[in-house]
Parts: sequence; C-alpha cells; structure tokens
Amino acid sequence: MENYLKRYRGLTLIGLLAISLVLVLAGCGGGGEQDKAPGADGGGERIIRISEANVPNIDPGVGSDYSDSIALANIYDTLVFPNHDGTTGPLLAKDWEASDDGLVWTFNLRDDVKFHNGDELTAEDVVFSVERMLALGEGYSYLFTDVLKEVKALDTYQVQFTLEKPFGPFLSTLVRMCVLNKDQVMENIQDGPYGDMGDYGKEWLITNDAGSGPYMVEELKKQEYLRGVKFEDYWGGWDEDAPEAFEILGTTSPSTIRTLMTRKELEITDQWQTKEALAALNDLPGVEINGAFTGTILNIMFNTKKAPTDDIHFRRALSYVFDYATVAEQLFPGSRKARGPISESLPGFNEDLQPLERNLEKAKEELAKSKYADKLDEYSVEAMWMTEVPDEEKVALLLQANAEELGINVDVVKVPWLSYVDQVAAMETTPHAGLVFVSPHYNEAGSILEPRYHSRSTGTWEQGEWLQDPDIDAAIDDAIGTIDTEERLAKYAAIQEQIIELAPTIWSFDQAEERAYQASYIHWPAAEKIKNGEPATAVMGYMYYFREFKVYPDKK
Amino acid sequence: MNKLHRYFLKRLFYSIFVLIGLSIVIFVIARVVPGDPARMALGPRAPQFAVDALREEMHLNNNLPTQYFYWVKGVATGDLGKSLVTKRNVTEDIKEFLPATLELVALSAVFVIMFSILFGALAARHKDKWIDSLIRVMAYTGVAMPSFVLAVLFLLFFGYIWPVIPVLGRLSAGLYAPPTFTGLYTIDSLLVGDLEVFWDALKHLLLPALALAVGPLFQEARIVRSSMTDNMTKDYLASAVAFGMPDRVVMGKYLLKPSMIPAVSVMGLDIAAMMGNAFLVEVIFNWPGISRFGMEAMLHKDLNAISAVIVVFGLIFVLVNILVDLIVAYLDPRIRLGGGV
Repeated sequence: MENYLKRYRGLTLIGLLAISLVLVLAGCGGGGEQDKAPGADGGGERIIRISEANVPNIDPGVGSDYSDSIALANIYDTLVFPNHDGTTGPLLAKDWEASDDGLVWTFNLRDDVKFHNGDELTAEDVVFSVERMLALGEGYSYLFTDVLKEVKALDTYQVQFTLEKPFGPFLSTLVRMCVLNKDQVMENIQDGPYGDMGDYGKEWLITNDAGSGPYMVEELKKQEYLRGVKFEDYWGGWDEDAPEAFEILGTTSPSTIRTLMTRKELEITDQWQTKEALAALNDLPGVEINGAFTGTILNIMFNTKKAPTDDIHFRRALSYVFDYATVAEQLFPGSRKARGPISESLPGFNEDLQPLERNLEKAKEELAKSKYADKLDEYSVEAMWMTEVPDEEKVALLLQANAEELGINVDVVKVPWLSYVDQVAAMETTPHAGLVFVSPHYNEAGSILEPRYHSRSTGTWEQGEWLQDPDIDAAIDDAIGTIDTEERLAKYAAIQEQIIELAPTIWSFDQAEERAYQASYIHWPAAEKIKNGEPATAVMGYMYYFREFKVYPDKK
Repeated sequence: MNKLHRYFLKRLFYSIFVLIGLSIVIFVIARVVPGDPARMALGPRAPQFAVDALREEMHLNNNLPTQYFYWVKGVATGDLGKSLVTKRNVTEDIKEFLPATLELVALSAVFVIMFSILFGALAARHKDKWIDSLIRVMAYTGVAMPSFVLAVLFLLFFGYIWPVIPVLGRLSAGLYAPPTFTGLYTIDSLLVGDLEVFWDALKHLLLPALALAVGPLFQEARIVRSSMTDNMTKDYLASAVAFGMPDRVVMGKYLLKPSMIPAVSVMGLDIAAMMGNAFLVEVIFNWPGISRFGMEAMLHKDLNAISAVIVVFGLIFVLVNILVDLIVAYLDPRIRLGGGV
C-alpha cells in the first residue's frame, strides 16, 4: 500500500500549487500601491480619515448620531454656525433679527451660495428643508417639532420663522437644520408615504447629497466608508493646506484601528477605543490623544418616587458617600469631577458650583435624618448598568462598595439597553438607580435640564428620576422661553442649584471624549484649542469641521 | 425517475418546510426581544407621530400572525421590507452584502478543500512519521484557534510588521468596484477584463479567507487522514491491486474517493457555517459582508434585516446540504445506484 501512496503525486502537486498561489499573492504585494485599503494612503493626498461606529446616514432629515453629525456638518450648510467660544455665528445667514416677543425670527441669506450641482441657494430651499425635516419626523426634527409654527420665504434671500412659543435656544438649534437643494431633491423623489412629495427623496439621499457645504459626497458604501471631496467653488473659499477629501470609516475594531493608525491611514480614531487601546496608540510616533469635554455626564439616576430613594436624606447620603475622585482620577483618567447636572463645557453652566466631593461624615448625618435609617436591612437599592457600556459596571460596583460603608445594600444589575428603556417607561418598574450617560441636544444647559428634569420627559430613558417637581418645571420653562441670552444662562445657573438641593442624581463624572490623532501631520483646530486651555465647540460633529483642518502630507 | 431523483425531490420538498419553520421561529424571536424597533430606528427623541407612522408602516400594531402574513407576502414579491439601519430595502442590502461574504467563503472553501485533502493524504501516507506528527500538531492548533484570533494575528503581522498585502476592505483606494453582474469583484472584474481590479480584489480576499478556512481545513484534514488509513486495510483495495489496476485508478477511485465521503459531509456543513461565523473576521478586516450586517441588524433590532439574513443563511444551508448529498451520492455507489437510500 505504501507503494501506491508514494505515487500519490498528483495531490501533492495540487497542494504545492496552492501554496505557491498564496506565496505569489503575498510576494507580489511588495509594498506600495497594493497597500492601500479603504481609507488607505492615497499617496500625498491631503485627506482626513476618521473612524466611527457606523457609516453615516447622510440624509439631513434622517441622520442624528455622531457619525451622521460629522458628515452633515461637512456636506451641508446651515443658517448659523457654532463657534468654539459657545456662541452662534453666521453661515448661510448674514444676519438675523428676532421680534421682541421672540416668536418671529427673520434671516437674511448670503446671495453667493451655490449648491454642489451649481444651483443657487435661496430662501425657498430653506423653507423646503424645514418642511421636509418636520414631515419626516426623524433625525434632529425633535428639536423643532413642538417649536416651529411656520416658515416662509419673504423674498429670494430672506426667510422667516414663526415659533409656537418663545424658545430662547432657537438660534443654537438651527445648527441642526441643514439646507437642501429643493430642485435636486424633487428631481429624485420616488413613490412614498408623503403624498405629492413621494418619499421626499429619502431613497436618493441615502447615497447622494443635495448640499452646499465644503465637501460633496463622492462615494458612500454601507458598512465601509463615506468619502467626501472638496467642493472647489465653496463660497467660503479654501486654505491651501485644507483637506482635499475626508473619509468616515465604519469600524471601531481596536486591531483595525491600530493597524490603520500605525500605517498612517487613519488620522483620527473614534471615541470608543478602550483606555488600553488609547495608551497603545499614544505610544505610536506622532500620535497624540485629544480629550474633549462635550457635555456628557454619567448620571446615577435615583427613582425619587420609590422607597428608599424617595427619601431626600437617603439620596443625599448616597451622594455624599460616593467617591467622585476615584471615578475621575482612576476609573476614567482624563475626565473630571462633575460639578452638578451640567458639564462645565456647556454655556449656562453655573460657575459658582464646586466639584462634587465625597464626605463620609455628612453622608452619615444625612442618613441619620432619613426615615429609612433604622430599617436599612429591609431595603436594598437596585443599581442598573447597561450591558452595552461595560465601563458603567465599575461605577456601579464603586457605588455598591461606598454604600456598604453606610450599611446600605446595593444590588448591581446588568441589563440590556432596550430592557432599561422599557423599564423606565413606568415609575413602578424604574430601578432605584440607573447609570446612564446623557449628552446635550444643542449647545446650552437647557438642552440637558429640560430632558433630564422636566416632567415632560418622565418615562423616557433620559429621566429615571421621576422628579415631577412643579417648581423645577416652571423654572425650566421660564428659562428656555427667555430670549435674552445672558438672562437665560443666568436662569439655567439658578436651576442647577435648585436641582442639586434635591439630590435626584449622582453626577459621577464629566466625561472626556478621547480620540487618538496624527498630531505630526494634521492641524486640528479644536484639539489645539483644548491643548491651549481654550474652549472648543461641544456641538456634536462640529469639532470635525474639516474645512478648518490642515494636512501636511510631507510630514508623514 | 429513479430512486435517487425521488430522494432529492423529497429532500427539496422537506427543505421548504424547514425554511418556513426557520422563518417563523426567527420572526417570533426577533419580536419578543424587548424594545420598540420603531423607536429604536427613529431615536429616543423622535416625535411620537413619526414613531406611530413607522409602526403602522411595519405592521407592528398587528398581531404576530398578521405581521408574519405581511412579511411572507412581501417576500413572495421580492420585497423584504425596509432596514431600520441602512434605511433602504433589505433586498438592496442583501444584494450588496451577500456577494461579499459569498466571495470570501468561496475562496475559504477552495482553501479548505485543497489543503484538507493535501494534509489529510500526506498524514495518511506518512502515518506515524514526523510529517504525520507535524500535521497533527498543526491541526490541533488550527482547530483550537478561533478564526478571529487568527484574523487579528494576520492583521497585526501583515498590517505593520510585514506590510506586503492589503489587510482591509475589498478594494484599494483609488480603485472602483467593477460593474455588478454577480457582485463578486473577482468574477465581475474578469467579466469586464479589468485585471487590475481582479488582482487587487483577490489580494484583499486572501487574508480573511485564510483566517476563516484554517479551523475547518484542519478538522477535515484529520477526517481525511483517519478515513484513508482505515480504507488502506480494506480487502477491496487489495483486490484492486491484485487485478492489476493502474496505480492512479487504485489511488483515485478506490482509496481517495471512498475516503472522502465522511469528510465531504462535514466539509459541506462547515463551509455553510462559515457564512454566519464570518462575522468577526468581517469586522476585523472591515469586510462589508452579510454576516456583519446580520449582527448589526440584531444589535439594532432591525426586524426585517434579521429575518432576511437568517432566511438567506437557512437557504444556503439547505442548498449546501443538498449539494453535499449529491456529492456523497457521486462518491458512494450504494447511494448512486439506489441501494443505500
């Protein structure tokens, strides 16, 4: 039998051929052109590539997550623009005025703006874009649905908004109202549920743009990347070192990100890299970590209507015993202690507030005043953290350990996000404590105060407190209805003190959004400002307004 | 119609019920998971009217049987519903992502088939010699190492230690996908005569396909070896030799062919299973395949996408099973000639 097997040469030959194929394929790789992958080096191209959790939805009426917001900020123009100092400046609108009662806002548009297809941008396009967003009811429409009553074009370059009620932050929210080319969208509508408007161009806008922004869509491949290229005729002009293109890659896989960063085929990473991964990236030559505060706080939300967290002294005891320093310094280095419900990075933050500190003596004093002080063994506090955010577990366990010092039993429970959302829909099923990161909707304290503490938002994931305090409700309504900015911000500050007094939440830390970036060959304005201790915009997406970036391929 | 034909028609007929059963199970499971898919799709802050409209559009206000009826009706007309993640018809997603995974799995299958036979036969030939031992160690390592670990190792090694081959995506920057005929870049590029794209696509396929293939490859190699060593001692082989049959006939027809029967059965299922198992490999190599899409769909409770992906996987399993039966019948005369069915 051995004899036959020895003659089994055909099979061996096939194997050798296969091995040769592999070697030839690999060997012919030889560096250079073939090394380019999606998001690959593009030679000396001035390009910014950034990784995100997903390839963006680039329909301005649909997109609203981080990836979407970056894409929209670069592809579309809005009437106004969020400045780094927290103010709102002109963009498509040269200037504007509001009526004394704050209900009518009139904007004068630039007359030199072209869409990517060469069409002129006019007030009709603004009206169309607003109506489309409201009709779709998706994306950022929630900012306008209950606010806008009417929008109309007064002439070619003048548009007027009428509001249902005074809404002080209206101007800030307009950074989410992208302007589409009406004619181009109408040329591409298909059958759909919006009457004469068919599908309102939704299908077409999945992979195409109808914008006037500094970049235009070249290619969008779902699950892979979005590539935008410079719009040469952009009305705002170009710096010679500005990126010629950008790409948003839909991956956060640490090994992929590390490979791309090492090969200088990715300029900015996503914010979802672990501390360990960021530390490894930081060791790469020319790579730095940018920690930006974008207004996000990890809240431990107490259900204020359920025993024992219904007792204010019990809640205060937990707030005092919590070890804020450990969270900010050891669990999440780079972040900072919170100073209340509002992040320091948001306009309207109360500067008089001090960082929250642990105080065991005060915790014991407060617990002694609680009606549950003598029956702690009868109650336990259920603290829920989300399966999808493993970092929250560390904070929940810390709360458990801290509470134990007071004799309070905390049960740490892991739940899927969707289950949590279901549970907080009813007061009875809302846990005693829920750990949830909350970010601002727009660049003001009101964007946190209203969804977090107004009675309107009870039953949503943003408010596990069920605070239902008429005084707080009235104060929030009053503040966001105030047109004068300074006055409004002062009112926000007062509300923060009121809320802290009620201790509905442990504001565990002010999160830094950390990303690694290629500091050696790109100039990232927001990162530079942060490095210099200056404010940088906290409006989601606008820190990545690539037109302001500079790329120096020769420094790679 | 002979016995073999009847057997396969029967299998085909039963497969329809398997697919219906599968679709019902996945349809129900996807819908009992907590969370409102319409709310998930539109975001926590979307106005209620929009959520209500989407629920109506997706028939979510109807009972489960009615929802299933609408879904089946859609499937029958080629409409798999809208994906809540990609915001387009799932049919479009399947058309785009399925070929990417099929292409990946096809090359993996080539590796599995070629190398498992090669290693299995070599090990059998050199039974209890050092080559056998070496292949055994390689097999244990290969089977024990999950494909995603290998994928990460490949990525790290070929990513920046020895960057001789592309590691991410389906094509290099600057190259555009060929016109779509099959969706398989290698085939489509050949059809239009674009050798640059063909070569580039093939190189992009190599590492993920290898990562995916290694586990099944060594498992099958062990089966081939075991089967061949068993058959070497069979009387019919000695008879064939005694009759003076040419070596090639004895080797190919009387030793290798029957020895492949157990391996082919496992191989078929392993290759079909790669469709689903490719998820992590696709994520690591940034490969836009259906396995990764399916996982994303599950994380976002994208009901239509989940149902479509699972049914597509089920269909592929059924087809591969039937194909395996055909191959086994070809290899095993007892089945082919009607005796063993």
